[in-house]
Amino acid sequence: MLKVENLSISFRTDEGLITPVQDIAFEVQPGRTLGIVGESGSGKSISTKALMQLLPGNGIISSEAKILYTDKSGKTRDINRLGKKGRAIRHIRGGEIGMIFQEPMASFSPVYTIGNQMVEAIRLHRNVGRKDARRIAVEMLDKVGISNPEARVDQYPHEMSGGMRQRAMIALALSAGPALLIADEPTTALDVTIQAQVLELMRNLQRDLSMGMIFITHDLGVISHIADDVAVMYLGTIVERGPTDKVIHEPAHPYTQGLIKALPSVDRLHDRLTPIPGDIPSPNDRPTGCPFHTRCTKVIAGLCDQHQPQILQVGEDHTVRCFLHEKQQRASA
Amino acid sequence: MLRFTLERLVGMIVTMVLVSMMVFLIMEIPPGDYADRYAFRKYSGTGIAITEADIEAIRHDFGLDKPMALRYVDWIGNIVLHGDFGQAFAFETDVTKVIGDKVWLTMAILFGTLLLTYLIAIPIGIYAAVRRASFADYGLTIFSYLGLALPNFLLALILLYFVNLWFGADIGGLFSTGMSDAPWSFAKAWDLIKHLWLPAFVLAWSAVAYQIQTIRATMSDELNKLSVTAARARGVPETKLLIKYPARLAINPVVSTIGFDVNRIFSELPIVAVVLGLTELGELLLNAYLDLDMYVAGAILLMLTFVIVLMNFISDLLLAWLDPRIKLGSN
Repeated sequence: MLKVENLSISFRTDEGLITPVQDIAFEVQPGRTLGIVGESGSGKSISTKALMQLLPGNGIISSEAKILYTDKSGKTRDINRLGKKGRAIRHIRGGEIGMIFQEPMASFSPVYTIGNQMVEAIRLHRNVGRKDARRIAVEMLDKVGISNPEARVDQYPHEMSGGMRQRAMIALALSAGPALLIADEPTTALDVTIQAQVLELMRNLQRDLSMGMIFITHDLGVISHIADDVAVMYLGTIVERGPTDKVIHEPAHPYTQGLIKALPSVDRLHDRLTPIPGDIPSPNDRPTGCPFHTRCTKVIAGLCDQHQPQILQVGEDHTVRCFLHEKQQRASA
Repeated sequence: MLRFTLERLVGMIVTMVLVSMMVFLIMEIPPGDYADRYAFRKYSGTGIAITEADIEAIRHDFGLDKPMALRYVDWIGNIVLHGDFGQAFAFETDVTKVIGDKVWLTMAILFGTLLLTYLIAIPIGIYAAVRRASFADYGLTIFSYLGLALPNFLLALILLYFVNLWFGADIGGLFSTGMSDAPWSFAKAWDLIKHLWLPAFVLAWSAVAYQIQTIRATMSDELNKLSVTAARARGVPETKLLIKYPARLAINPVVSTIGFDVNRIFSELPIVAVVLGLTELGELLLNAYLDLDMYVAGAILLMLTFVIVLMNFISDLLLAWLDPRIKLGSN
């Protein structure tokens, strides 16, 4: 339903043009979840903002990028050709692709009730009157597990608890009936117990509404619970992509391997965690060659710091951008 | 909201009582009273020697011999119960008659200025924030600094010259010749509006410049809020989005300073009034003080402060309506 190709994103800044996302490609199938993992600054958030033409004024999507979206009526359009304004993109925003954010308090306007903002979204995308829209809003709040929705619908965001606000945020995004949901670190700001509840809720809702979903997180543990496919991002490129099982159990890229080693686990309670050495470089001075070579433990001198690795197939639907696999494949060939 | 309104209303009434006491005290501070002044005016140069007892008799006639607390109670009681502001000694009539129309004209200038200020400043400030770093934005910023730097009596003189040049004479003052003494009618009100825009513009000038910068700053902050992106991600059309989400919060500092604006207009009005030949209360207030005509001064001060307190009350209610989180504080 969504196919992204050659997506690069640049920003005009006082220090010149920086390109935090370089040539990424991914795909989302109806009813399936794509998880995008990466550290902060890896470009995962702005990639999804670009999908809805929500980049700030100084952001540029490369002209050769294709964001092909097939809508509910089966028509395919290139979102990159729609521009930032106008009816066509507004129809997609909310109505076709819904979005939820990390900070539920900041993503609701504090000066309108939950119901006011839900009714607005519903009436923008569904041809219903005010009364019906309110009924849909109450049903949606009930569906996301908010008790006493009839009363809650008239409350302001500051009158709710953090977990409840996140549920309301999900209800708000889903009330307009999107076919694809983009969730930008929706559980990061929550307590672990509430995080588990919200993940469970999102999985159930996705199944019930048979939506496609893009789930962004920096937490591989969360990904393994919710995603069917994973794309691992590092410094604006996708270094590894494949089915979740494969990527978690047979990680091909040294970065993915590092992320998994850095993950706390109850089985390895007394082992020390192994962090990836070094910090993520700034996008303004991106290393030449493979972006990860400055922190990679398996770096091949003279190769990784000179040349960009190409995308290689390492399994069914499993691809990686790493010279290690090129060598192996050449050796076995 | 009802509880909040009632609380603010009680607060306003308490403030008004304290303010009225202060006004009365200020009236009492200048040495001497109107009895001295009256005796001096009436008998100086006539050769009649007057004694302390004569002055005391005059003081008794005017009711100025009673203790201060009692006179305060009489004064405020008559105002509240009968709308009677006392006697204007120098004019030998009631204060109400002396002040009369001047109150309404001052209020017309005040509200005309406020309306003009917000009608110009709010849309322009929002526009400058949305088109940030464009030529229009920089142009408006330059205009704002000019506005802040130019004293408004000078602006009044410049405008007076050009308006006279373009529209002919008869622009100063608040009415055309012959209209000022005519009874109130639709034609007279229209005549007032035709004259009002000039003083309103002059008085609004610096506030407009200041408020444009305020709104531009708060609107720029609000535009970067995640809630605005979130609303855009729901497909809300851009114009509706700007008004409903960021603009509503961006005008907050403007609404909360309505009282300051009223205060500033009252302070700047007398000078502008002199330049433009307006009828208003400032000059009367000054003369009342020079004449020790205390009840005239008191009535004017009381009305001006009342308007400021009232506008603060309105500003509180507007703020609570604009941002429901404010009402949290009242619990």
